[in-house]
Amino acid sequence: MLRRFRVEEPESVKEASELLGRFGESAKVYAGGTELLLAMKEGLIQYERLINIKQLKGLNEVKLENGAIRVGALCTHHQLETSPVLQKNLLSLVKLEQNVANVRVRQVGTLGGNLCFAEPHADPGTLLMAVGATLVAEKQASKREIAAEDFFVDAYETCLEADEVLTEIQLPMPAGRSGVAYLKFGYLERPSVGVAVALTLNGGGKSIGNIRIAVGCAGPAPKRVPEAEELLKGKSIDEATRNLQKAGAVAGSAAQAISDLHGSQEYKEHIVGVLLKRAFQSALTQC
Amino acid sequence: MQFEKEVEILAAKEKVWNFIWDVDRFIACVPGCKEAKTLEEGKRYAATMIEKVGPFRVEFPTTIEVVEREELTRIKAQASGADNKIGSRMKLELDVHLREQDDKTVLGFVVNVDILGKLAALGHGIIKRKADQVLDEFAQAVKKRLEGDV
Amino acid sequence: MSKAMFRHPDSQTIPVSFTLNGRLQEIDLEPHELLLDVVRERLGLTGAKRSCDVQVCGACTLLVDGRPVSACTTLAFEVRGRSVLTIEGLADNGKLHPLQEAFIEHGGFQCGFCTPGMILAAKALLDENPNPTEEELKHFMHGNICRCTGYKKIIESIMAAAKKMRGARA
Repeated sequence: MLRRFRVEEPESVKEASELLGRFGESAKVYAGGTELLLAMKEGLIQYERLINIKQLKGLNEVKLENGAIRVGALCTHHQLETSPVLQKNLLSLVKLEQNVANVRVRQVGTLGGNLCFAEPHADPGTLLMAVGATLVAEKQASKREIAAEDFFVDAYETCLEADEVLTEIQLPMPAGRSGVAYLKFGYLERPSVGVAVALTLNGGGKSIGNIRIAVGCAGPAPKRVPEAEELLKGKSIDEATRNLQKAGAVAGSAAQAISDLHGSQEYKEHIVGVLLKRAFQSALTQC
Repeated sequence: MQFEKEVEILAAKEKVWNFIWDVDRFIACVPGCKEAKTLEEGKRYAATMIEKVGPFRVEFPTTIEVVEREELTRIKAQASGADNKIGSRMKLELDVHLREQDDKTVLGFVVNVDILGKLAALGHGIIKRKADQVLDEFAQAVKKRLEGDV
Repeated sequence: MSKAMFRHPDSQTIPVSFTLNGRLQEIDLEPHELLLDVVRERLGLTGAKRSCDVQVCGACTLLVDGRPVSACTTLAFEVRGRSVLTIEGLADNGKLHPLQEAFIEHGGFQCGFCTPGMILAAKALLDENPNPTEEELKHFMHGNICRCTGYKKIIESIMAAAKKMRGARA
């Protein structure tokens, strides 16, 4: 049983933001509820009001506009795994979404909700960081863009303000010869380790042009790992491949892995290294 | 969960010792600790500990008991609290020691803390991290207060 | 923030109109009521089970607009204007659905606790993909857990039902 609460159903993002501002900590944004309701059922959090945002218009579409993929924050994981736009342009996200939780969670859970709840053991944040996604947050009179790599502050904590609503996730269209791969490892209900690699090959196709690496699930929040990227960026494919072991170790340390039921810190760090190698190779084959 | 912290403070041992017993100022250094009260001077104290991890908030009305006291050297204390709203309890054993090192005082503490009940669902790792952060902030706050004072 | 921050809000009633197993249902709901509780306690349909209560096991699976949801973690008012199918609504005037027949024929259940959820999830799978490969079937059904059968017979049952349903459609 849940404790009693009221549901508010604002008709605009502005109104939703106003309600959040007015009710402060006693209110929360509610979309799919797949994370929120679980915590509420556990009794770990309580709210007097849930601000339902599912009825807000225009926030659940996937569009290709001005060279970017624009994903509404209310898109469910199911919508994303079946989106023709994503299937054509960003297969790595489709594969990620196909494997989020289970079919029932994918049916109602939203990408926005997943990002905002910032559960440490979650998939999308890691990939979004690697592809350089931008998150759009709105509140009453203003809008701001937040780089995915700046979005997550800590476990269950994002940089969103109390009265901000995440409305959109913008993904740059992959350029030229590029590849993106997200690999995860886990045997419990939630993933234990996730690694995303996005890279481009330069001119001759013989060396790594640009590369972005992100690790997630192992630590309190997903992180981009520039120190690992440095070991591979601009290097010939051969040299980069030789550096993978070291890059994996660097990424493992950077993951801030926490020993818990999912595995010890050392084990998770090791798995980060393994996944980094495989994700790198997978991204390479796409180029 | 056990934590050990040591912080070097540019202040005399007596000053550090006296600071610890100045309940209001001392409690002010503990992140999330409010409403400190002396129930029995030198023996029992009360405070409210409020900590947040993202949206999860816990409020423990806590009683602290001084178990052992060695003038200017060591304090052993026990604390416990319960947040009935989220069905969780906190138990804490604290061992504080002071020693002189040149013109500095080294303030060390060993903390044994257990979180019981629903809050444990957040995961041992997250709670441990939070506790570590709180202790770090606490140590730094004490150092700053003492060194900043004239 | 003051200690007495949480006040019990005044109760709110949401009148909900939805189709339940093909019939129009009208019910007044409070926002905090969970779909599983409403279906089991207020509507008396106890096929859906409360098992893990954290939307992981699938024993509470219901179909809303043909798609599987975890009734244990769904607010009941969310079914307003939608169609809900429970296991009790699967048979057609006493005639079992091919999935139900297949589960019986192929031994797709033992204790039966996971079965209502299993069958409804399988229905959603076959409605979406009438000819799934075993991989596709396993992927879709991944979120429905069974402690008795070891899954082999469940897979057989679903595949057999799928074949029968494709044949009937032809």
